[in-house]
Amino acid sequence: MPEQLIKPDLNFVKDIIASGGESLKKCYQCSTCTVVCGVTPDEKPFPRKEMMYAQWGMKDKLISNPDVWLCHQCSDCTAYCPRGAKPGEVLGAIRKMAIKNYSAPSALANMTADPKYLILLFALPVLIFLGIIGSLGHFSDIPRGEDGGIVYSHFIPVPYIDTVFILASAFAVISFFMGIKKYWADMSAGMQLKGNVMDSLKATIVDILSHDRFQKCNVTKDRSTAHMLVFYAFIGLAVTTGWGVLYLYGHEIFGIQGTSLFHFGETPYPLYDPMKIVGNASAFALLLGMLFVTANRMKNAEKAGSGSYFDWLFIVVIFTIVVTGILSEVLRLADVDPIAYIVYFIHLVFIFFLFAYAPFSKMAHMVYRATAMVFARHAQREG
Amino acid sequence: MDKKIGVYICTDCEIGKALDIEGLKKVAVKMKAPVVKEHPSLCLKEGVDFIKNDMAAEGVNAVIIAACSPRVNYDTFDLGIPLVERVNLREQVVWTHKPNDEDTQMMAEDYVRMGILKMNKIEAPEPYKVEDLSRNVLVVGGGIAGITAANQAAKAGYDVFLVEKSDSLGGWMSNIYKQAPTKPPYENLEEPEISDLIKEVRQNPKVKIFTSAQVEKIDGAPGIYNVTVKQNGNSETLRAGAVVEAVGTVPYDATKIDHLGFGKYPNVITNYMMEGLALKGAILRPSDGKPAKSVAFIQCAGQRDENHLPYCSATCCVESLKQAKYVRNQDPDAKVFIFYKDMRTPGHYEYFYKSMQNDPGVFLTKGEVKGITEGDNQNLIVSVENTLVGEKISVDADLVVLATGMVPVTGLGEEILPPGVKPGDEFIPYVMIETNTLNLGYRQGGELPSLAQGYPDSNFICFPYETRRTGVYSAGTVRAPMDITSSKEDATGAALKAIQCIELTSRGEAVHPRVGDISYADFFMQKCTQCKRCTEECPFGAINEDEKANPLYNPTRCRRCAVCLGACPERIISFKNYSVDMIGNMVKNIEVPGEEDEKPRAIVFACENDAYPALDMAGINRLQFNPFVRVVPLRCIGSMNLVWVADALSKGIDGVLLMGCQYGEDYQCHMATGSHLAKIRLSKVAETLDRLKLESGRVQMTQVSISEYHKIPQILDEFLQKLEGFGPNPYKM
Repeated sequence: MPEQLIKPDLNFVKDIIASGGESLKKCYQCSTCTVVCGVTPDEKPFPRKEMMYAQWGMKDKLISNPDVWLCHQCSDCTAYCPRGAKPGEVLGAIRKMAIKNYSAPSALANMTADPKYLILLFALPVLIFLGIIGSLGHFSDIPRGEDGGIVYSHFIPVPYIDTVFILASAFAVISFFMGIKKYWADMSAGMQLKGNVMDSLKATIVDILSHDRFQKCNVTKDRSTAHMLVFYAFIGLAVTTGWGVLYLYGHEIFGIQGTSLFHFGETPYPLYDPMKIVGNASAFALLLGMLFVTANRMKNAEKAGSGSYFDWLFIVVIFTIVVTGILSEVLRLADVDPIAYIVYFIHLVFIFFLFAYAPFSKMAHMVYRATAMVFARHAQREG
Repeated sequence: MDKKIGVYICTDCEIGKALDIEGLKKVAVKMKAPVVKEHPSLCLKEGVDFIKNDMAAEGVNAVIIAACSPRVNYDTFDLGIPLVERVNLREQVVWTHKPNDEDTQMMAEDYVRMGILKMNKIEAPEPYKVEDLSRNVLVVGGGIAGITAANQAAKAGYDVFLVEKSDSLGGWMSNIYKQAPTKPPYENLEEPEISDLIKEVRQNPKVKIFTSAQVEKIDGAPGIYNVTVKQNGNSETLRAGAVVEAVGTVPYDATKIDHLGFGKYPNVITNYMMEGLALKGAILRPSDGKPAKSVAFIQCAGQRDENHLPYCSATCCVESLKQAKYVRNQDPDAKVFIFYKDMRTPGHYEYFYKSMQNDPGVFLTKGEVKGITEGDNQNLIVSVENTLVGEKISVDADLVVLATGMVPVTGLGEEILPPGVKPGDEFIPYVMIETNTLNLGYRQGGELPSLAQGYPDSNFICFPYETRRTGVYSAGTVRAPMDITSSKEDATGAALKAIQCIELTSRGEAVHPRVGDISYADFFMQKCTQCKRCTEECPFGAINEDEKANPLYNPTRCRRCAVCLGACPERIISFKNYSVDMIGNMVKNIEVPGEEDEKPRAIVFACENDAYPALDMAGINRLQFNPFVRVVPLRCIGSMNLVWVADALSKGIDGVLLMGCQYGEDYQCHMATGSHLAKIRLSKVAETLDRLKLESGRVQMTQVSISEYHKIPQILDEFLQKLEGFGPNPYKM
């Protein structure tokens, strides 16, 4: 092996420390973490080496390292670390920095990571939606539905919603694409990759759907159920959204008429509509999942670490979305004016936050971890 | 005054049940002991009073107590008279042998007989008291250890002379910028405490300080040293009772460590030089005076390395962490690399290690530094292998600090062979390095004997402060590498040892390990042949020589080990209560059954310090051992005189086993060289045995420590089996 000139990046070390890896330097390289880790490959296992790279500020070795994403933060390492170095938390901080590193524009990444800018980040959707409501004059006089009930699409009509969210999503997709492209290039630099990447992709999808890797966790075993609930709830909500689009534009553009079961074009939909059922079920699954997530975190805080701002921001955002979503529906049905509109407004603001800032927030883990898992398979790092 | 012997046999602790007490009494009566009695429990008050009654009523003035081991109840049997002898019937007879057995009884009878014979031969020792004893303590070396020793001795009320060769006190401690944390939370550097200690010692009227001074000569012995101190060209003679040597260490010569580039590259410095930089106010590179922004520390530079210093200097890990903090405090963006073999931060220093480890700018890894080369701007590329970061790495540093180790000042001089030792001899009792430090007027050389690397030798387990010179105690880093706190403790210990020596000497008592022994050697000079064996073999250099090679014995230097008694071919050396004649008489009067009885006899000469206690331990643990042995305790196995072997074998004893302490590199002998000397004497016995047509295997030596008592039965059985192989001693009657 050739001699390697090491130039530690002191600022990188300080950044990891600032990002929730404050215990990083306590590691004295005993390798207990690697031994207890259930998800590491046997060859060149993590997280010991990552801890060393991190202590030594070896940014290049970490940012593009797929291993930091193979880690599912079971926190077995953190629980067993004799020195309290919390490798799980440190790797979490490194992942956050990887997200920050690859997501463009980086200014937004820095803002998402820093509580200082939280208000500014929320100000954008607040202003957008306030602008729309103001321009429609809906601050005071909101048209009611035919049956006299609250109709949110009368409050902010669908085209406005769609425009805002399509733009936000497009921004996120482009940002993700650029980030992932660069990330893949960095990971594969200097490597000879053979085989079909699609096979690895397929295997990874199965892996993710089954939540197999979570099962290998020990200390935080119950995370598997919580994460699975949240994960499938999101899929359910995505299906619901697609379904809603189908109802709306199927009716408006293609003139499809509703039946007694499938209510094309008739917002708000009755509660017995299958789409509504899927949507509400997903919402409850998400609520339940998030309750589990939070309870687990509280329960495991002593062993696994209490999590960083980055983690908690993400949890709070999703929690708010699901709670305001359910409340919006309940308040609408109960006809509580104007609280229903305010809650719906908050709901929209948080959904915007989730979508637009996805490439910079913890939401990005979904994309980066999936990419790293595909890469690891492709590079035969993992079978 | 005539001896009137009283023999008292205790029947408690199973003795009465296992032995025929009447039989024992008969033996004593036959040996003409005027008073022979038994008592159910001598160690109780009634028992002691029983003896004291006889002393008062019948004039018994020499008491033989046949009961438990002399190692127990010694305070109970302090009867206020010098002649009290113990016969060990409990531990080494009834607890280790079959009860009511013929062999056990014979053994007990032999021991009673030997006790009476011994009592017949001994006289009450009178303590040797020097005239005009000095209670002053001489402290050589004015660093942290020397100053502490001086302060402590003065606090205890003793006058002190503190001699320092440089022009100021403080030693290396005066050249450091900060000292490592000693207080919770053990994270903050502290001001060196030396200035306060210097102030204290300077203000103490009981301490007389000599700076820019040298000890030219120390003549005499404990309690009566005459010390010549030379200062500014003037010599002055002082009187001292004991000496503390605290001359410290110097840094190892870093130019000898070729691959680390010291002396070749200006920006490679030592840890000692780093303190100098810090003292000047900033860590600046020697080459261009720019502040150091990237500093690499190389631990164990020339240490734990057979080619340089084989040992660990104990302080460098903490010192480098401390210096890392200098660098980090100077510049929060500076980087510090520490390459170590193992980080050794014992005790509370662990907290300091952890706190420094937690500093983002400190990069630590285990690794082997393979070399240093110079790059641009006289920066240094440090190549390290087998690191935790990678197989082979290098870093770019603008300053490299070598953690060089400590070399004792006592190691910096010409090595001379001890008198009587020729190059290539199998046994070299010690290394004498003439360093012009103490200049002791001792026949065996002017400095403290050392074993390795110039550190004064001491028995590192049992009594680390003691050196091989009674009354001279080494302290601080000159004794062993140690940190500031340990040096202070060490110096305090040495000061107390010096005081202890003075006080014991004033009472005519021996120091460790025979503390309180008032006997001392007597030389029957008319028969001396000036063979020099005693002056050369004395482990403590107690015996000087006059110009005609007559031995000049210094009782206050003597530790009463009686190695001289064993050495003397003319048998002219004896103690009032320990002599060639006394032991010889005991040996010769062991009853040896005839050949047809098939009861062999072997003598075990057992060292009183470890082997004899091990035999007792065997008893306490009720281990059974061979009944054909007769144990004769010796002050040190090195006091074994070969004539005893001849005495034994010519009487028909089948073999002799010497049971002593471990000798050699990690010797355990309480008298340093005694057991090794015994071994050498034994090698010379073979010729004598050949002449007598006896197998040389009949006389053997074994090494036993007190913790190896469980081996005793096996050792004895194996020896007896071996003797059986030789057949009975043909000299049996």
